[in-house]
Amino acid sequence: MENVSLTTAAVISFCEELEDKSSAFYTELAERWTENAEMFQTFAKDGGKNKTWVVRTYQETISDALEASYAFEGLVLGDHAVETTLAQDAGYMDALEMAITLEEKARAFYLDAAQRSESLLATIPSAFKRVAKKRGKRKPKLESLLGAAK
Amino acid sequence: MAVLAEPIKKVLRLRNFIDGEWVDSEGETKDVVNPANGKTIATVPISTEDEINEAVEAAKEAYPAWRRTPPLARVRCLFRLKELLEENFEEISRIQTMEHGKTIDESRGETRRGIEMVEVATGIPSLMMGYNLEDIATGIDEYLIRQPLGVFGIIAPFNFPFMVPLWFAPFAVATGNCIVLKPSSEDPISQVKILELADEAGIPPGVWNIVHGGRTVVSGMLKNPDIEGICFVGSTPVGRDVIYKGCGETGKRVIAMCGAKNFALVMPDANLDRTIAACMTSFYGNTGQRCLANANLVIVGDGLNDQEFDAFYKKVVDAFVAAAKRIRMGYGLDDTVHMGPIRDEKKKNNVLYYIEKGIEEGATLTLDGREFEIVGDLPDTCFIGPTVFEDVTLDMAIAQDEIFGPVASIMKAKNLQEGIDMIHQNPFGNAASLFTQNGKWAREFQYNVECGNIGINTGIAAPMAFFPFSGMKDSFFGTLHGQGQEAVRFFTESKVTIQRWF
Repeated sequence: MENVSLTTAAVISFCEELEDKSSAFYTELAERWTENAEMFQTFAKDGGKNKTWVVRTYQETISDALEASYAFEGLVLGDHAVETTLAQDAGYMDALEMAITLEEKARAFYLDAAQRSESLLATIPSAFKRVAKKRGKRKPKLESLLGAAK
Repeated sequence: MAVLAEPIKKVLRLRNFIDGEWVDSEGETKDVVNPANGKTIATVPISTEDEINEAVEAAKEAYPAWRRTPPLARVRCLFRLKELLEENFEEISRIQTMEHGKTIDESRGETRRGIEMVEVATGIPSLMMGYNLEDIATGIDEYLIRQPLGVFGIIAPFNFPFMVPLWFAPFAVATGNCIVLKPSSEDPISQVKILELADEAGIPPGVWNIVHGGRTVVSGMLKNPDIEGICFVGSTPVGRDVIYKGCGETGKRVIAMCGAKNFALVMPDANLDRTIAACMTSFYGNTGQRCLANANLVIVGDGLNDQEFDAFYKKVVDAFVAAAKRIRMGYGLDDTVHMGPIRDEKKKNNVLYYIEKGIEEGATLTLDGREFEIVGDLPDTCFIGPTVFEDVTLDMAIAQDEIFGPVASIMKAKNLQEGIDMIHQNPFGNAASLFTQNGKWAREFQYNVECGNIGINTGIAAPMAFFPFSGMKDSFFGTLHGQGQEAVRFFTESKVTIQRWF
């Protein structure tokens, strides 16, 4: 798979999985550390919105006439794999560090996908950029929590 | 990355939809087989002449009331249909992959284009308006109105089972006509799904009918005097017969969109990376079963000396072949797959025939599609890999005939004019593409090439729903085209009234 050009469908599936896993992760954080539950719940809810936004944009602009199967040349999804399984004995700071890494990797994925596909797809790269921007705003909030916890 | 769930879980028994009812046919049945895995997913009836006549009668009876239904009320049915199509977007797309074999990206793209036709047709209250002029002479006014005609027949091909009937159906219905549609018996399921949704959207009984079948249904449509016009998409020999023999005798208006053999010209200044991506989509998308697919790649040496031209040619061919080799084949519901199977074994054998023919005629088989790998545990019955021929000359069958498979024939032209001349030596005139950064070359190409759909740095020159889907020479018979304003014109008659009051 590493040398094969990814289809748009495969990249969209990856986005869906990424957002689902992120949402589940933040839901767990909200349940385990209730003092910041509201923020984690918002992140979890936003995962659903991000997914809807990307899928809807894709479905509304996909065309069999554009290069949907060849738009992500060089993108390796393995490089963007995220870890969202929190160990049972993980502490609050471990969880925040994991969340920060998750956000960094997610943002990098969306920007990478947007940059590679910009010349060949219509509005889909814009949707990726929008999600990257939204997720980029999470990191300072998480870092702030981490700083306060230290 | 995922292999998506199949929406069809058991073998469907398809029926005709006549006068708002799903009815069994008296005719024999035929299996609809998923070409990727060989599994039967439906049985479709091959209806009788009586059944097509019954559907036409139902449409004829529904016509007066539908015609008198205000255009706004008519398009509200289409607005509801559009919403239902959106809600069922994914299921409809996966059905197409199952019935046809195309990849899920291709199916979703087809679904989107089909929905766009419905969206454009909802503009009928504006699109159908006539025009007027006061005082053409003293106290005399003149105005034009567009009126529907009655019953239309739509004969659909197998290669875009969902979208192609929608080039016509929503425009026909929105303008106040009634239709009888014959889907391809090879992949009729997505049309059945549309009818289920059209019924739910409130389109009245008799307005939109489906009769499954084959030649009997087609000839029944052509003979039936109550059908005002025919929309046909299919091969050139059949299209010619539809317009000149069948509809000529019964005086029907016709849109006949037929075969193709499209050329892509690559100029020395082309952006190669993007050209190759566009070419992969064009030559191998839908496994080459597309009337807008490019099949002949002409590498043009305009402004280059012999040595430079040889180097440029090699660079393009190497990139093209390398990209073609990386195409991942398999079941279209595996979302990592770039290319699915050919629709059926007979069509695959036809492609194999042309590969043999190309070798026999002396072309060089640079990439042999007969040797391929498939992702997943699937029978190879309908699969064939990307194929590339070099040293092709225009007189060869592989350069002349519509193969309708993933076969690319590469040729050379010294300059742009020679490339255009090559296009004109082919009897078809559906589409042609030019890859260049030079505006003068681009203008010269679009100005001079006798093809209905021109792509500049676009491999598939597919017109949007609000433009006509054109075609010339042996690729199109008729006057007005499907889609957009031309479809509105086709499905209406212009009536002029000159009015004076004493």
